[in-house]
Amino acid sequence: MKNLNKIFFSALFFFFLNFIHSEEINRGLEIALKADDSFSGYGDSKTNLKMMLKDRKGLVTERVMEMKLLEVPEDGDKSLIVFDSPRDVRGVAVLSHAHKVGSDEQWLYLPALKRVKRVASKNRTGPFLGSEFSLEDLSFQEVEKYSYEYLRDENIDGKESHVIKRIPLDPYSGYTKQIVWISKSNSLIHQIHHFDRKSFHVKTQTFSGYKKYLNKFWRPGEIHMINHQTNKTTTLFFQDMAFNTGLSDKDFTQNSLKRSK
Amino acid sequence: MVSSFYRDTTKAFLVISLIFISSSLFSKVEKYGEVSFENRTFSEKGLFGQDKDHFSFTLSPEFYFESEDQKTSFTFKPKIRRDSLDDERNLFDIQDLSLIKVKNSYEIRIGIRRDFWGVTETVHRVDIINQTDQVESFDGEDKLGQPMINLSLERDWGVLDIYALLGFRERTFAGEKGRLRAPFLIDTNSAMYESSAENLRTDFAFRWSQSYRDLELALSHFSGTSREPEFINKSISLKIPYYGVIEQTGLEALYIVGGLALKLEAISRSGQGDRFSAATAGFEYTQVGILSSRLDLGWIMEFNYDDRYQESPLALGTRLTFNDMYDSQILSGVMRNEETGETNVFVEASRRVRNCCRLSFESIYFNGGNNSNSIQKMFEYLKQDDFVRFEFIYYLGN
Repeated sequence: MKNLNKIFFSALFFFFLNFIHSEEINRGLEIALKADDSFSGYGDSKTNLKMMLKDRKGLVTERVMEMKLLEVPEDGDKSLIVFDSPRDVRGVAVLSHAHKVGSDEQWLYLPALKRVKRVASKNRTGPFLGSEFSLEDLSFQEVEKYSYEYLRDENIDGKESHVIKRIPLDPYSGYTKQIVWISKSNSLIHQIHHFDRKSFHVKTQTFSGYKKYLNKFWRPGEIHMINHQTNKTTTLFFQDMAFNTGLSDKDFTQNSLKRSK
Repeated sequence: MVSSFYRDTTKAFLVISLIFISSSLFSKVEKYGEVSFENRTFSEKGLFGQDKDHFSFTLSPEFYFESEDQKTSFTFKPKIRRDSLDDERNLFDIQDLSLIKVKNSYEIRIGIRRDFWGVTETVHRVDIINQTDQVESFDGEDKLGQPMINLSLERDWGVLDIYALLGFRERTFAGEKGRLRAPFLIDTNSAMYESSAENLRTDFAFRWSQSYRDLELALSHFSGTSREPEFINKSISLKIPYYGVIEQTGLEALYIVGGLALKLEAISRSGQGDRFSAATAGFEYTQVGILSSRLDLGWIMEFNYDDRYQESPLALGTRLTFNDMYDSQILSGVMRNEETGETNVFVEASRRVRNCCRLSFESIYFNGGNNSNSIQKMFEYLKQDDFVRFEFIYYLGN
């Protein structure tokens, strides 16, 4: 009888634990979905990106590129990034078709050879153009690509925030987990801690200068990334952000990749 | 006669294009391109006493015009090269002089252009639209501009490119004083053709390509004058390039499995002796962040097959990417032919200098092997041509 009691209570305990756990998962997902609101229904957008890379000694270099995005309902979004500077990579372009389920598709255009090259999307975790961002950091972060867990509420930098943990479902992600701070007042992400494959807190990403477009879509003006291992930083500036620019599927094909200048 | 046709067509096109441009159709104008200086130093004098050292200077500015709606664009890119040693390495080529019009259901590209077909890295079997500027570099990836009309249809069933290739460009060959040359002289001024239209024949080609999630597939056919000549003896030491008319069907496939890209290129060609088939197959794999560093290490392995030879070379390559601010990388590779015992090793390192420039260093080594059988060797006459090459490129523009 005593044994039976023990089994019963421990079962109840585990059930309860599990219940709490699923509660946290649901809450985490809820917060993530709310944060994603700004990213659904936007249609298409165009923006110029300026990257400022700073090394340990404070030496600064710059990268300039143009990014086009197209929302694909029911699936991942499409993006086209065309480099403008430094000059030796001018005209190099990356086309991505993200998918909610399965690996993304990615093509690289090499203007010197007039060659379109399909690349394994696994290679998106390394430094992008020598910066502290990876292509994974820059690509669209679909809600479906992670599992979530609510951790706690916290006030950081004067912002009341929800803190959630998200785990990338893509086996080829560069991260084992990310801790995300989402502001309670407007559901915008303002900080992410990235944990590498050895679960080491390798990078911290902060978002600032949020602006509202078309009365609905919030976009950051700056994203800052610091690598704690190297102390190198990269700041990404979004300039001339435009929505409803008339982009369509036709602007995200291999033919359009070849034309991108 | 040959080049005068080419020159006239170019001139006519240039005039028409200038009218286009002056009609202020284009709202965006960009000027860029590059200037480069290259020096090659060989380990020994050539087999025919050619000098150990030479340098060259290349200028290739690029002018790009685009209409407000981005549906019409025009590109002009000449290329001028001067070599200190070999006259045959002097070049004036129009790489691009073309107009692109994008319509709702198709895209039309008219003028002199370059276009690449293929998926493999070491040997490009399917690629046939453009002639190779063989003297530019040892890898043969540099091409000459080809006059064409190219209609491109992009639909759910894939992309269909149809080409009318107007006229023919001859391959470049190193001259008498040049290095990395054949054991005989090639008289490029008296090239012969199978076609009675000689180098004015209009060739046709098409390529269908499609992406299926993890698979890229392409089928192509080329009907026209071969880019690869055969040689006719004029005398023992002088040969004339002979360009036959060929039919070549090509297949390209690339399959992604995780981080691995499996590749295949195969062709079947008729018109130059018996019909033959050739293929290159292999893989590319990149290890991201090796040894917990920022460095990526890419592996390339490619096997070759060619009906015409007993054994074809095997190529193994690595690409070390530093992912630093200077985009530093080191490419290295080995090509080995079991049958002839020959080995060819190369290393190429490059990095960006400031925002404007790029510096690269390349070294190639040929080993003739010990096999003393009588088969024709690939690098038989290149065994004194081990070299180091240094190049500095300044990119024009802002």
